[in-house]
Amino acid sequence: MLWLWILIGVLVFLLALGVFGYNRLVRLRNEVDTGWANIDVQLQRRTDLIPNLVEAVKGYASHERGVFEEVTRARAAVQQAGSPGSAAEANDFLTAALGRLFVVAEAYPELKASENFLRLQDDLTDTEDKISAARRYYNATVMHFNTAVQSVPWLLIARPLGFREREFFSAEGDTAVPDVSFPR
Amino acid sequence: MTLQQQIRANRLRSLVVVAGFVALLAIMGGLIGLVFDPSLGIFALAFALIYGIFALMRSRAMISRLTHAQELSPNELRPLRRLLENASIGAGLPVTPELRVVDDPAPNAFAAGLRPKSSYVGVTTGLLRTMPKRELEAVIAHEIAHIRHRDTYLMTMATIFAGIIALLADIGLRTLAFGGRRSGGIIAIVLAIVGLVLAPYAALMLRLSLSRRREFLADAGSAEILSDPEAMALALRRLEHDPTTVRYADASTSHMWVESPTDRVDTTRGSIQEFSSWFNTHPPLKARIAALEEAGGFRLPGELPADVAFAAEMGL
Repeated sequence: MLWLWILIGVLVFLLALGVFGYNRLVRLRNEVDTGWANIDVQLQRRTDLIPNLVEAVKGYASHERGVFEEVTRARAAVQQAGSPGSAAEANDFLTAALGRLFVVAEAYPELKASENFLRLQDDLTDTEDKISAARRYYNATVMHFNTAVQSVPWLLIARPLGFREREFFSAEGDTAVPDVSFPR
Repeated sequence: MTLQQQIRANRLRSLVVVAGFVALLAIMGGLIGLVFDPSLGIFALAFALIYGIFALMRSRAMISRLTHAQELSPNELRPLRRLLENASIGAGLPVTPELRVVDDPAPNAFAAGLRPKSSYVGVTTGLLRTMPKRELEAVIAHEIAHIRHRDTYLMTMATIFAGIIALLADIGLRTLAFGGRRSGGIIAIVLAIVGLVLAPYAALMLRLSLSRRREFLADAGSAEILSDPEAMALALRRLEHDPTTVRYADASTSHMWVESPTDRVDTTRGSIQEFSSWFNTHPPLKARIAALEEAGGFRLPGELPADVAFAAEMGL
């Protein structure tokens, strides 16, 4: 009789642990999804700004076709990226391509002084700042989620219930999360 | 401690604070009822309830008025608004809080609001004129961390309760001093006086002990949001060097600011120091800088960087 009670007790404990663990993993996963949505919004905003920017520069420097093509290709790559890692990589390409576009723009003082161009440039800088802010939050949520999925005892329920590690938003070789840990 | 645990711990503490205040209120109502008339005790509690509900509904506007914060149109101070937007994105807040500016030469900032969605962050013009961009961003992130940790919610509740208790004590003491029917014996009256005199201090202590620990957590939050613990430490060091105090500083709102606006005077002698540290709303800046240095594994240089202040950089 005693053994039966012990068995029931253990089962109830395991069930409670399972429910708690499942809820925790769901919450962490939702945070990751929210974090990704934040990045996505900003990436979208960035790619939306680019056609106008290309048009503005074309008006003054129509012969620099190579740079325009490169920017357009990089923009398409960001839009088509299927995972956080590849999106980060494409976004880095876009940053590099835009850098070259702005070097081209340097040679045209009239373009540089035009209000339209200045506003676009300002908006782009703002978007880039926001992408890096969103990336800090997203990568932190991914780290929490991945740690939970990989650690005992949640490890035991994570796989069977379909919780998989998420990718960081960073190109390969990047240090994803700067280590800022606080003693509590 | 993860963020969620921190928020949950804060909710639990809010519950304890509310329960503590309700108990204090009940004791005070009981004392008033015991000494004068039971109906007066009930009346006082009913009054407290109505006042509390009203204060809760009006808390946003009230705090705004107490701190003399001005609302801004979306196009004003765009660069500043962007810093706020970036900090709230970095913190994962669902919306960017409103931005308000307090016209005051002392560098300081505060956050207020019951929910993240209805919160706002106030900065003084002095802060904009003193801090370079990097440090200003750290201060703003510190305020965002307060909102994210639900500190502003807890503080608003505590402020309202402390206000009610002070008000009740005042009513009780005045009634006692200027006659009124007394039904209790002499012991009850002595008890009532002691209770009514001490209650506001008990409320104050409860409120202050809450806000001090939170400052360390918000500093840590700022470092995490920006991945830059040094920026927050530099900002605190700069505040330490700055001699001006907030003009509109009011004891009732002092716990809301990034740096305590009221207790500027450093008391060096032992016993006075002990006593004053109990009544301080904020831990000393040195302790906060030291905590950041330890956590981030760096040492602040003796000299502050001679960067251009944000206001000058933006031509404000």
